[in-house]
Amino acid sequence: MHVYEVFIKKDGRDEFRHVGALEAATDELAVVLAREGYLRRAEGDRVWVVRRDHVVVADDDFVDPNADKPHRHHDGAAVADRRRASRQSQQ
Amino acid sequence: MSERGAIREFLLAFADDEHLMGQQHTEWIGVAPFLEEDLAFSSIGQDELGHAAMLYELVLELDGIEPTDTAVDTLAFGRPSHDYRCCHLVEYETKDWAEALVRHWVYDAFEAMRWHLVTGTSMPKLAAIARKALREEVFHTRHADALLDRLLAAPEARSRLLAALDAVVPMVPGLCEGTAGEAVAVAEGAAAGPTAGLLEPLLVAIDRRFSAAGLDGRSVGSACVGGPSAGGAANGQRGRTSRSPDFEPLMARMREVLDYDSEAVW
Repeated sequence: MHVYEVFIKKDGRDEFRHVGALEAATDELAVVLAREGYLRRAEGDRVWVVRRDHVVVADDDFVDPNADKPHRHHDGAAVADRRRASRQSQQ
Repeated sequence: MSERGAIREFLLAFADDEHLMGQQHTEWIGVAPFLEEDLAFSSIGQDELGHAAMLYELVLELDGIEPTDTAVDTLAFGRPSHDYRCCHLVEYETKDWAEALVRHWVYDAFEAMRWHLVTGTSMPKLAAIARKALREEVFHTRHADALLDRLLAAPEARSRLLAALDAVVPMVPGLCEGTAGEAVAVAEGAAAGPTAGLLEPLLVAIDRRFSAAGLDGRSVGSACVGGPSAGGAANGQRGRTSRSPDFEPLMARMREVLDYDSEAVW
């Protein structure tokens, strides 16, 4: 048996979303069981299943999130701060 | 038998088969070999129960009775046993999951053929039910095939499945047995042909399914049709009017909650 991760999508809406996992002996069984297990209430009309051991997983400490590089964020906060400071200095 | 009576018998046999098959599948919830199979098998069983409910509604309409939920329940659960028209295969209490799986495959192979008999029916509502049911049968068949593909390739599972096939096959002629007056129903355009006409293609399909995986040159068809007990198995149903010993215990399980208080309003 292999563990498969299940992704579903409604046609024309959203991207594929992860909804859970299941155990199955073959790819075909995984697709069939995913339909009955995750789509029997019309939750979506397309399904992907991916064997968990086929997912490329980085080491836990690989990403090392960097919160100290505001220039890489595009929420405009840094620019807004400078404009505010500029307005106040002209008053 | 009147034309209406003949069509009613035909529809009732179809509905009763779907009803009992659905019930039997749903009984695997919680005890199938693995969780995902619990869900899948009982979900498939619910599909069959849905087909049964739609067919019972057609029977009630033929009877001139408004097909309310209560009327459908009364028809589905409230008849004396000799008024049921199910075959012995769907009444059969399986000994293990191998038998349940083999029966699932055989029944769904037959069921798809039976729906194809009525896709061109003279009854528009029946044709609509057939179209819906055939879409669902695609999944039922893929489910059974996917399990058999995997399990027939494993020696222990294969020997269990072939033993299960030996238990199920003698009931196949009964599955394909028509009801009294079926020729009249066919002549009226309710179906494209008699149920009995499905026996030959079904046996071919069973042979094809299981021979590649180790029937060891045996033919299910010859064992079934040519064997000394086979004719008896089919005739024992007497036009689907006789019940096997497994029917009453099954019906008692189905009626268990209802029988606590048959007047309760749900």
